[in-house]
Amino acid sequence: MKTKLMWIAAPFLVLCMSFSFGQEKTVTGNVTDQNDLPLPGVSIVVVGTTNGTQTDFDGNYVIAASEGQVLRFSYLGQKTVQRTIGASSTIDVQMEDDAQALAEVIVTGQGSGIAKRKLSTTVDVLDSEEIDRLPSNQIDQMLQATAPSAQIRMSSGQPGTASIIRTRGPISAATSSTPVVIVDGVRVDNLNSNPSLGLDTGGANVSALADIPVESIERIEYIKGGAATTLYGADAANGVIQIITKKGKAGRSTAFFESRLGVIKATTDFLKYDRTAEALFAPGFSQEYRVGFSGGSEKVSYNFGGSLYKDDGFNKLNEQVRRTFTFGYNANVTDNFKYQGSFSFVSFDSNLDYNANVNFSRFSNFEGGSYGDLNAMTDAEWAAVRANSDEVGSLVDITSRTSRFTGSNKFIYDITSSIQANATVGIDYRTTTQENLQSNAFLVAIGAENPGTSNKAELARVIRNNFVVTGDLNLTHRAETDNFSFVTILGGQFFRTTDRQNRLDGSGGSDGTRRINFFPTQTASDYVLENANYGLYFLENVGLFDVAFLEFGGRLDRNTSAGSNTSPLLLPKVGLTYNISDHDFYRDSGISDIISTVRVRGNYGEATNFARPFSQDKTFELSPVLGQNAFSFANPGNDDLISETVKTTEFGVELGFFGNRLNFSGTRYKAITEDALFTPVKPPSEGSQNQIYNLGEVENKGWEFEMRAFVLQTPEHQLDLTVSYNTNENNVVDTGGAAPFVVGGFNVLGSVVAEGQSLGYLRGTAAIRQDDGSYSFETNSSLGKTFAPKFGTINLNYSYKDKVNFFVSGDYQYGGQITDLSFLLRHLSGIDNTGIPEDLVGTTSPFNYVNYFVFDNDFFKIRNIGATYNFGDVLKPFSSVKFGVTVTNPFNWTAGDFDPEATGSGIGAQNGFASGGFAYGTESAPRIFMSSLRFQF
Amino acid sequence: MKKIVLITVAALSLLNCTNDFSSVVDFTDVENPTLSEQSVVGKPNSSAVWLNGIKRNNGFVFNEFLILAELGSDNYVNTETFFNQFLDNLEFQPADPDLRDATREVARLREMAIFGLETVGPADSEYTTAIEAEYNFYLGMAYLYSAMYFPALPQEPRGPMVASAQHYQDAIAQFDVAIGLNASETKYHLAKARANYYTGNKAAAVASANDALAIDRAFDNMVRYDAVAPDGVPDGTQSSNRFEDALYERSTFDDLQPLPTLDFLDPKYSYFTDEEDAPVHYLKAEEALLILAEANLADSNVPAAQANLTELLELIGTREVRAINDDIEGRTEDNPGSRPDSTIVVVNGRSGLVLNRHSGLIYIPSVSGTSLTASDIAGLTADDAGLELLYRTRQEVFIAEGLRFVDMGLKLIVDENEVLQNENISAGDLGTVALIPPFIDAIKTQLDAITYDAGTGVATTAVNVNEILVANKSSEFVLPFH
Repeated sequence: MKTKLMWIAAPFLVLCMSFSFGQEKTVTGNVTDQNDLPLPGVSIVVVGTTNGTQTDFDGNYVIAASEGQVLRFSYLGQKTVQRTIGASSTIDVQMEDDAQALAEVIVTGQGSGIAKRKLSTTVDVLDSEEIDRLPSNQIDQMLQATAPSAQIRMSSGQPGTASIIRTRGPISAATSSTPVVIVDGVRVDNLNSNPSLGLDTGGANVSALADIPVESIERIEYIKGGAATTLYGADAANGVIQIITKKGKAGRSTAFFESRLGVIKATTDFLKYDRTAEALFAPGFSQEYRVGFSGGSEKVSYNFGGSLYKDDGFNKLNEQVRRTFTFGYNANVTDNFKYQGSFSFVSFDSNLDYNANVNFSRFSNFEGGSYGDLNAMTDAEWAAVRANSDEVGSLVDITSRTSRFTGSNKFIYDITSSIQANATVGIDYRTTTQENLQSNAFLVAIGAENPGTSNKAELARVIRNNFVVTGDLNLTHRAETDNFSFVTILGGQFFRTTDRQNRLDGSGGSDGTRRINFFPTQTASDYVLENANYGLYFLENVGLFDVAFLEFGGRLDRNTSAGSNTSPLLLPKVGLTYNISDHDFYRDSGISDIISTVRVRGNYGEATNFARPFSQDKTFELSPVLGQNAFSFANPGNDDLISETVKTTEFGVELGFFGNRLNFSGTRYKAITEDALFTPVKPPSEGSQNQIYNLGEVENKGWEFEMRAFVLQTPEHQLDLTVSYNTNENNVVDTGGAAPFVVGGFNVLGSVVAEGQSLGYLRGTAAIRQDDGSYSFETNSSLGKTFAPKFGTINLNYSYKDKVNFFVSGDYQYGGQITDLSFLLRHLSGIDNTGIPEDLVGTTSPFNYVNYFVFDNDFFKIRNIGATYNFGDVLKPFSSVKFGVTVTNPFNWTAGDFDPEATGSGIGAQNGFASGGFAYGTESAPRIFMSSLRFQF
Repeated sequence: MKKIVLITVAALSLLNCTNDFSSVVDFTDVENPTLSEQSVVGKPNSSAVWLNGIKRNNGFVFNEFLILAELGSDNYVNTETFFNQFLDNLEFQPADPDLRDATREVARLREMAIFGLETVGPADSEYTTAIEAEYNFYLGMAYLYSAMYFPALPQEPRGPMVASAQHYQDAIAQFDVAIGLNASETKYHLAKARANYYTGNKAAAVASANDALAIDRAFDNMVRYDAVAPDGVPDGTQSSNRFEDALYERSTFDDLQPLPTLDFLDPKYSYFTDEEDAPVHYLKAEEALLILAEANLADSNVPAAQANLTELLELIGTREVRAINDDIEGRTEDNPGSRPDSTIVVVNGRSGLVLNRHSGLIYIPSVSGTSLTASDIAGLTADDAGLELLYRTRQEVFIAEGLRFVDMGLKLIVDENEVLQNENISAGDLGTVALIPPFIDAIKTQLDAITYDAGTGVATTAVNVNEILVANKSSEFVLPFH
């Protein structure tokens, strides 16, 4: 019976099929964006059916459909396009950017990129337009207040100084929280502290972040850690800042010239004494000239940018000069083979003043009360102090000269329309020479030597060469079925870092020379760090009905800083994202008019931080002692040393209302640092140096919220507002039985790691008033967390007819604590008892009531206010002339009378942990009034 | 066929290249430039180089202990924030990192001596008995420091507490081994004398003191410091003389200020040469003479004690006195007039003890100095007055050498890192809590207190510690011969 029925049905079925096939045809075409660049991954659906496909890497697609049917082309970030199939079999589509859509971009990284809507992780993105209008030349300053979930705190206003960068709280007691920085797929030096052999300037140090090339940036992506950074391996647990440079676009060549002129003025908001400003500050002038050329054909495109910058600072003695050029190009060698290259050169010269922890730092001596109450001085007394300060200032001679070369080569080969191979190889070489010359005149001026001394001059010269080479090779495979899409990435990556430092010290010299061999006594020292990291990674992204995406993968990671007893680490990740509002039923329903986007996501991923290279080795040291060699024990060694692993789970939701004019994003994260790298104090009876071990556990959890509203969206007026609010709860779950240990600050008032406390919390003796009016002195009291647990940014952007643009950016934090060290020192000098109970002063050591020197580190700061006006082509032959003004750091509101950001002395060891819990001894970031004029051809 | 040969040759040459070429493309090859154990052990002369390291570490011990001991005693007061904040008032805080560092340096001295004796020495073809004696001596010194400065201290990594008395005995045993290997070193004999002195073993102390003097009646052993060697080798150490920083080098900072009765002896350490910092004189003939004098006083043999002190005075007369420009440091930069700084000042009724540092060079004994005079010696008695004079002289001769603290019966405690991580030790054990003689505890906040009237030039110390020590001579804490 069954067989018979089949035989009857078969001809009927064949008939039906041939009938319907007879109506269908193969439609092909190409999809580009508004710049005529091919758009891969565009979803194409025959409306009313489940028939769909995606464009390939070159934007090409093939689909079977019938005449009269409608093709819907959709791609987040682009306006959806619908086309009715006519007689032609070719339908090319040019999509337009959809400004109201979630800022959807392709996330670069390993592999050839995946649409953001397919990812379960979040990325903060800064595009070239936003970057170009920012007045800063420093990557951290650019991201400050513009990266919604990052805390970027300028630790000093001295040129090029390091900022403390954090996102999801402090995850490690062993390393700084500075993210990995990658330029066009190549890791670059991101040392954000004094090098190991660095000059003793008292605190503020020139950071490698100050000379990362920022010209010609197409886009900056800030990837915050967790599952998003699993594939980066090694030390990506702090997150990754990816910089993608401009490579030019096919089309008419363009060129621009821009001049930026500014006035730099010290902020006096946080000074105790006006006289400090009088002695040290004078407004400076900044000049910058930029040029750029860009253009290309279908085959080759290029972008060149160059700039020259100079300012003479707000501190009378500071000066910085920066010279850069960048070059990026893209060559479509064949239809299948593409080559992208970029090269940049930056030179950055600056000088520093002494600050904080040197006894002749003028700023900290003035503000810290070393001269007594400056306000109480008579004019004559002040004139004498001032004259000495001026003399010292004229003799301070600390210079830093950096040259950095970064080059990236990327080869892209489409093996088939669905398999692409990517290879990247590149280098970053940064060489810095820093000198500190303490002339006899200087030593006499600061009172260290008697007048007339002529043979005590000292010269210190530190040369640091840092070389990073990065290589990456991967295959990306894309596949589609009716209901499923697959992106598979398989690859291997390595990077190798060599940091060589040499320090020369000469003493007993005469004035007037910087030649080390003219100093009668010379000593030399060196320091080497070498590390290679390599790993294999795999990622699978499965699309379900083009609305939900399951992602899983991992990295097998190995690096040479691990002990000999260890195995490669397997770092897994898994994530799911569900774009509910992409369902047809949802789009067709009335709800989508109100809640236009609904997207939920969740993921789990692991990322690591590795210990300082060579810290796994048992070593001995040899020191010259009075002309003879002397051995000593050095590092005890740890064969089991391995990277600490940060295991992050996060859940999030994206909501868009009213056609995505109002957008909310919320993320809950929980990150556990397991095998946390702690260097606890060894029991002294071992008589041994401390050793780093994997023995701790640190927990960070919190929320990240962002609201972006397109308040006005008319052809003439556009106004958008972005506000973010983040929380972080940090707790040291376990220290492996070690006693609390100090990671910053002082014995009596330290930044400490202890179980049950926030990493680097403030600890000291607190005086607590009892009911009977007496005080109890509670040693080792917790005085607060140094990381503000609540923080965020605010950005407002208004434009009128593409003519006028106005923007404001600011950031805030609250809930943390900080020590006002200058106040403590003034109090010790007996000149400032503000807020300290009278019955306490003089009865005991101030170190028994340090709670009175600890304050909230709350602030709200407007970082930039700027406006541009585009004159258009009125000044022919220029196609546009743009005039802009910006004010940097115009307004500050803080909980205390001091700047909770100015913690220049906070970082102890190279790339070490920085709590930022001590405000002391260095100038705050200055106010900068800048105008820019840009001519575009 | 030709083609096959060509391909084979090409393949072989490529393979060959690849093998040789591997180092060019091996990105995982890293080299730690620091010394490994193989580079230290088994190399000719490594025992001598290891001994230099031990000597250097002995300097680190003094860098740590001198600050604590001198602040804890009545010798110095800390007027700034840079150095230890607790010991001035005899506060012993388990979390005080200076306590940690002090115990660690003693332990490292011990571990280095043991590593020398057990590993480096035997593996070195050039190992000598003199070096072996030195290893034993420094091991003995590690025990001696443990005994002098702690009621109890572990004697091995994470080991149980060993009481001070046992440390003294172990030190003596180790010094005996050293003497057995090389009897010609004054420091071995004097160290043994000191250990016996503090344990109250008068006869043995006297014998060893005499043995030392028999070799050289003016001997002087020094801890030398390199002024330019890098710091932090190993971590946390300072190559130069840290106490010199506190007394002199930090110039405009006032840091440590002496009791006005000791003003004329400060700074014992000052600028030496560009290459070398001022040494600490730590086992010198003066100590042997003072032990002999104290033993004779205890035996009421006044003439013998007078002879010892007369020899002491003569010896001190031969010791170096350095001309120093101390104008920059002065006495009180921050708070002018707060401390005596003029030659007219009379302290506790005695004049000539305070210098004016702003009128040219000052002359400071760099080995030993004293206000003791021949007439003082002539008037010496075997009663408390005589003992007080002797202890005043000990205080002056040993200023900035860390002995006053021990003479006052004071001891440090081990810090919390030991207590928390050493399974053999519990909070509350001997050595984990302060053990202060009650007669010192009663005055611990007044040890450095002075009153000073700059107008009249009269300065008075709040307490006379020598008088208090002698008054409590029968206490087990102090005056070991009584």
